[in-house]
Amino acid sequence: MENSQNYLDPKVLARLEGLSLRARLIVEGYASGVHRSPFHGFSIEFAEHREYVPGDDLRYLDWKVLGRTDKYHLKQFEEETNLDCYLLLDTSESMQYKSAEAALSKLEYAKCVGAALAYLVLKQQDSVGLATFDREVRALVRPGSKASHIKQIINVMEESVGGRKTAVGPIFHELAERFTRRGIVVVLSDLFDDVESMLAGLKHFRHRRHEVVLMHVLDPAELDFPFRRTTMFRGLEELPEVLVEPGPLRKAYLDQFGAYVHRLKQGCRMHRIDYVQMRTDQSLEVALSSYLASRR
Amino acid sequence: MEYYPLFAFGIANLPMLGWLAAAAAPVVIHLLSRRRYAEVSWAAMEYLLAAVKKQRRRLRFEQWLLLAVRTLIVVLLVLAVAEPYFQRTGPAPAGAGRIHRVLVLDGSFSMAYRPTDRSRFEQAKQLAGELVEESRRGDAFTLVLMASPPAVVIGAPAMEPGEVLGEIDRLKCTDTTIDGPATVDKVRRIVQNARRENPGLGRHEVYFLTDLQRVGWEPNKTSEPRGLSPRRTLPQDKPGGLLNTATIAVIDLGQPDAENLAVADLSTLDPVATLAADVRFEVCLKNFGRKARNNQPIELLIDRRRVARKHIDIAAGEERSVEFTYRFDTPGDHIVEVRADGDALPTDNRRFMVVPVRESLRVLCIDGRPSGEPFGGAADYLAAALSPAGDSNRQTSVQVDLAPESALIERDLGQYDCVFICNVAQFTAGEARVMDAYLGAGGNVVFFLGEAVTAQRYNRRLYDTSDDTHILPARLGEIVPAGVYHIDPMEYRHPIVRAFRGREKAGLSAVPIFRYFKLTVPKDSGAMVVLKTTQGDPLIVEASVGRGRVVLVGASADVSWTPLPLWPSFVPLVQEMLAFCAGGELRQRNVAVGEPIVASVPSAVADLSASVHCPDGRTQPVTIHTDGDCSTLSFDGTTVGGIYTVRLGEPIERAWNFAANIDTTESNLARITIDQLRRDLWPEVVLLKISEPPDLSWDKAWRGDKPHGSLVFSEQQPGMSIAQPARLHVYLLYVVLGLLLTETCLAWRYGYNTP
Repeated sequence: MENSQNYLDPKVLARLEGLSLRARLIVEGYASGVHRSPFHGFSIEFAEHREYVPGDDLRYLDWKVLGRTDKYHLKQFEEETNLDCYLLLDTSESMQYKSAEAALSKLEYAKCVGAALAYLVLKQQDSVGLATFDREVRALVRPGSKASHIKQIINVMEESVGGRKTAVGPIFHELAERFTRRGIVVVLSDLFDDVESMLAGLKHFRHRRHEVVLMHVLDPAELDFPFRRTTMFRGLEELPEVLVEPGPLRKAYLDQFGAYVHRLKQGCRMHRIDYVQMRTDQSLEVALSSYLASRR
Repeated sequence: MEYYPLFAFGIANLPMLGWLAAAAAPVVIHLLSRRRYAEVSWAAMEYLLAAVKKQRRRLRFEQWLLLAVRTLIVVLLVLAVAEPYFQRTGPAPAGAGRIHRVLVLDGSFSMAYRPTDRSRFEQAKQLAGELVEESRRGDAFTLVLMASPPAVVIGAPAMEPGEVLGEIDRLKCTDTTIDGPATVDKVRRIVQNARRENPGLGRHEVYFLTDLQRVGWEPNKTSEPRGLSPRRTLPQDKPGGLLNTATIAVIDLGQPDAENLAVADLSTLDPVATLAADVRFEVCLKNFGRKARNNQPIELLIDRRRVARKHIDIAAGEERSVEFTYRFDTPGDHIVEVRADGDALPTDNRRFMVVPVRESLRVLCIDGRPSGEPFGGAADYLAAALSPAGDSNRQTSVQVDLAPESALIERDLGQYDCVFICNVAQFTAGEARVMDAYLGAGGNVVFFLGEAVTAQRYNRRLYDTSDDTHILPARLGEIVPAGVYHIDPMEYRHPIVRAFRGREKAGLSAVPIFRYFKLTVPKDSGAMVVLKTTQGDPLIVEASVGRGRVVLVGASADVSWTPLPLWPSFVPLVQEMLAFCAGGELRQRNVAVGEPIVASVPSAVADLSASVHCPDGRTQPVTIHTDGDCSTLSFDGTTVGGIYTVRLGEPIERAWNFAANIDTTESNLARITIDQLRRDLWPEVVLLKISEPPDLSWDKAWRGDKPHGSLVFSEQQPGMSIAQPARLHVYLLYVVLGLLLTETCLAWRYGYNTP
């Protein structure tokens, strides 16, 4: 049996069959490392006190009790299922790209991340929903909080095969209209589309008072451009092909790509959107924790 | 001067330039790489296309630049391997150090050619002198006369210009050809010695002042000049050769279409000249030029006096013979000269011959079995054949002394032109020594055998001797059993029987021979078989012994073994035998230039002095070598053509004349081409062509008052020099190294070598 934390490694995950298994192992692996769930509901119904243990959130420390008794007690509330998490999974053709350096395609990686998040959310009795899309919404699973809901989400994810062109901006507008209840929108996409259009869509979510988390899934080759030999690059999503000498072009490509990412990040910052860049050769722990840890 | 290759650029290894085709390799590799590529499906295509669009022009420029650098690397590398060089003549650069100059003047007789009022050799001397005068203080000179053999006039570097100029002034053109290999070898040794013994001489330059005649300069091909050993030709320069130790300049003094007519040969058709008969002279003329010579006069001079004159037409390249006849009226040495004047090279327009003329030939016939009966003795028929009754033969007038075998000791053989020995049974050691001395002094002996001859004793005394008295040209064997044998004339090849060629009716081959000694001729002995029997056994054998000749006849001179003495062919056979033997003196008196003059002198006189008066006015003493009973003098200074007179001092007071004639292969003034000289001999040679004698001056040549005179002597810095050939390949390799580094940097900078 592998150590549970090993399942955060994409190479190990790639050897596993079934998204459900992958998601459970990711969460177990992650949870064993942090011991605490990153998702918290918010409630006003006080339930009881309990003694502080190291690692507990000091926000819930009862200062009055501390003043009176000089003892550390936390206030505990009656938990409510009041968090809706919307997972938006890009299944376009570009998401199928997988370089030699990566163990998983961007779509597989995004599915793993999405499933793991869904697993985590449901474990806290919150609701999680899913929408898959390319240039239109391909599948939509309404948020649910039952334990069995994970199966439906995973099934939809597993049945999602990419192969079409992306049109992210209009999709975001459409989904923003559909997601009426306030919640967290987690976008899992390579975001290869017009930046302004995408940001406009994301802004729409913000307008609906959703929290938006943009998980930008990228292949290491797209970030590093490691090609040496003369290469014919055949464009996905109906883009043309081009024969180039990669070496001399690398810097120019990285400049172009960097500018695109920069614009994206800048837009996210402007609209208070959380931007998380995920490399598909990166451990999922790094990918998840870099975001989720900031949400505690 | 009309032509100044002052800047010489060349390629030492020309075939290597074929590799320049490899310069296409970078282009080909580039094109192939465009055909062989990896394929990738790419998601972030939008950004890649944007990068391509933005960088297209820069990328193209970088690719062309890299391609150009890579192509240049290949081109320069090939050029470096081909070893280009660059050489210039002109003022010696400041601080170049002292220079050792080897002046090599072509002294072959073609240098006597006079295109104007001065010969090529005089031009060469003038140029050499000016080169010395223009030199800087401290420069050194050596001087070599290129001839056969070459003469090293100044062997060690001389610093004093006055001495060098004096030696140059005293140089005289020879009538020899050039011995290229020997000259180059001597020059190489001079340079090597100078490098070793005078390390202060920083540079060594060799100047060949020559007319670049093909026969002397053509490398690695052999020609066969008449009468001489195969000519040695110049070998190509090899590692360690002259080029590696010195800089070579060839100063061309020749003219491209020089006309020349030469008296190629002068010979007598009669090997022995007497007062009794006319002597026929055959003159061979050859026109080496490109124009026909019509009505060309040819004069025959006897003892400096013109006695006959003829005119002939001779076409370009044609060789023609002219015959003169003359009867001498006084005995002694006569000087015969043929002249065919009228061209710019006088040296080969004359040819000389010394003809010793006698009142009659004196022959001693020794009869081993004398008889009182007419024609009863062994030599009676022979004596009659040598001097037939009435003496009307046209070839010789022969005075025959018939004597018994004791005459070998009793008489002075030196007074006889030839001794015939017939059927003598055996010889004593004293007789063998007398014969050997006689042969060594140029005498001739003819042996006829017979029944009285004891083969074993002949072999012991005259063939298998322990001392050096090796007289017989063949070993005597058994007498063949009695039978009827005939003569195989062997196509009448030998001079003794050549007169019978075409005259088969004379019956030489039909003569029966009943008995003869079986003769064995050793291989490689130099002996020649004149006639054989039809059984294949040698019948007459001849060989040179000492300075004379020996003829051995296996049969008898009487009729006991063969009826030959009774046949008509006997008289001409014996007469030709005598002429062949006596004609040896004529051959000894006429030599080629460069060959030694050898004469026999009486050995009885002690402290005999001798001298040779040469055609150029020199008189040189000659030493006499005594070997047993024979004394000879030898003179090997025959450097010019003409008559050499050998004089013996008191008490003998005797003089002989000898003629030395030039080798007329040098008369062919065809020249080696410059390209051939560079290609086959010295690829890095600097060539200066001089064709305008009035302009002959280094000073004028270099001062730049001519269209090509791009180099000008500095007044403050007199002295000219050939710059050492700049071996560009070293610099090219540095450039290649630099380009390799540049290519690496550029490829790294442009991202072609990104890790």
